[in-house]
Amino acid sequence: MSLSFSATVPVIDANVGIGHRHNRRYPYDSVDGLLQEMDRHGVNRALVYHVQGELISPTQGNEQLASWIDGNERRLIPQHVAGSDDVSLAQLLDLRAAGTLRCVRLHNTSGCRLPFARWLYNDLLTWLSDEGIPLWVSLADTPPEEVVDTLSSYPDLPTVLVGAHYVHASMLRPMLKALPKATLELSRYENIRSIEKLVGTFGPDRFLYGSFFPRYAMGPMLFYLHRLELADGDLEQICSGNTEKILRLTRD
Amino acid sequence: MIKGTEIIDFHGHVGRWDVFEMNDDPDEIIRAMDAGGIDRSCLFNIFHPDGVTGNDLTARFVANHPDRFIGFAYVSPAFPESLRNELERAIDRLGFSAIKIYPPYGPWPMDAACWDPIYAFADERRLAVISHTGTEETCTPDLVDRIAPRFPNANFVIGHAGNAEPSRTQAIVAAQRNANVYLETCSTFREPGVVERLVNEAGADRVLFGSDVPLMDPRSQLGKIITADISDDAKKRILGENAKRLLKR
Repeated sequence: MSLSFSATVPVIDANVGIGHRHNRRYPYDSVDGLLQEMDRHGVNRALVYHVQGELISPTQGNEQLASWIDGNERRLIPQHVAGSDDVSLAQLLDLRAAGTLRCVRLHNTSGCRLPFARWLYNDLLTWLSDEGIPLWVSLADTPPEEVVDTLSSYPDLPTVLVGAHYVHASMLRPMLKALPKATLELSRYENIRSIEKLVGTFGPDRFLYGSFFPRYAMGPMLFYLHRLELADGDLEQICSGNTEKILRLTRD
Repeated sequence: MIKGTEIIDFHGHVGRWDVFEMNDDPDEIIRAMDAGGIDRSCLFNIFHPDGVTGNDLTARFVANHPDRFIGFAYVSPAFPESLRNELERAIDRLGFSAIKIYPPYGPWPMDAACWDPIYAFADERRLAVISHTGTEETCTPDLVDRIAPRFPNANFVIGHAGNAEPSRTQAIVAAQRNANVYLETCSTFREPGVVERLVNEAGADRVLFGSDVPLMDPRSQLGKIITADISDDAKKRILGENAKRLLKR
């Protein structure tokens, strides 16, 4: 055991925000700081979305995303944010046509005071499902009951549920059973020995590492994953393999 | 044990909280501690306001693994008539090492007079008092800033270091202004730079590692300290040396 830490397996952080929020300055004024932080913890690549997309404007956030990524495409994978309106969907269609859209993240529905309901998001969810484009949904920003009720209508849609917290402990197993195409991102889930138990129940392919940076520091959960009692190969699968599979990435 | 430093977790619970799947199974706790290199955990039971019921449960829990667990006494102003006697029983007969209070369970701000007998007892015995703190109005850390100077022989540990802003800044200010105030780190608020800020602004001597075990896994909370951009010397102090100093009576 050491007083310092760096990952010992390939790592993709599958939940990283980038850019300044309307009410919160980003820790770094350029992407260099983020890359240095990734290096410090041994994170090879990160899936990044622009945080303007959470609450203010998914379309403008998506437009600004490229300027943070330019020149660092080997380290940073773009994730585009979806809102509820037709303008947002039209932008995503264009990005798909241009070959730059790999996955989509739902905006902060609670913060926007919108229900995550089929009647409001059906066009988006139907398109994603038909195209096989994975959807990231934050349990910190969308009520779990709406997530389950709505996503159950799109059984072929691959989803990644991010930001589960100990307050969701009683709901997680039923959620993963109700949504068999869902993968759980682990940035905030720290109930005692629960990840080991969940992996034992559902298998390692249902879980992946994300940090939720900059809401959360990048290192603590990665350290935690390295201290889990897992079978050989499970750590690498959780830290990068499952994300590679969901995003259809190839390793350098 | 990490690099010759005994690791002491200053914030843990005895008891169940079923909706959050919190279960004080000692085997599970010890297994997680071992996987993280944590030597001892300080535990208290905050679910019984009479004090006696929870303290007896804590005593039995600790007695089964005295080399791994340290008991803290819990009392509440809801039972003012028995408060002093229960503290004496918990410290003198049950062998507990410090006191835990949880102001959000009642209507009394932690600087209200009803808490004074607890602080006076801690002052008299030179004990540490750890309190939950946060943005709840009964336990904002600025209240500790008012209490600490009145009981200079007691040490006050600001649990969760205030959790989130503006309480975190209040916690740091309270530690800067009072030599008997410490900041404990467990929290689900884990923004980048929090531990670094506590160390830079309050000093590594005033920060204590805590995890909230078994509500949370001690390994993730340990990760906050290990992955912080601070010196190894600061990490050693936070992870165990400061706690040993506080628990030495």
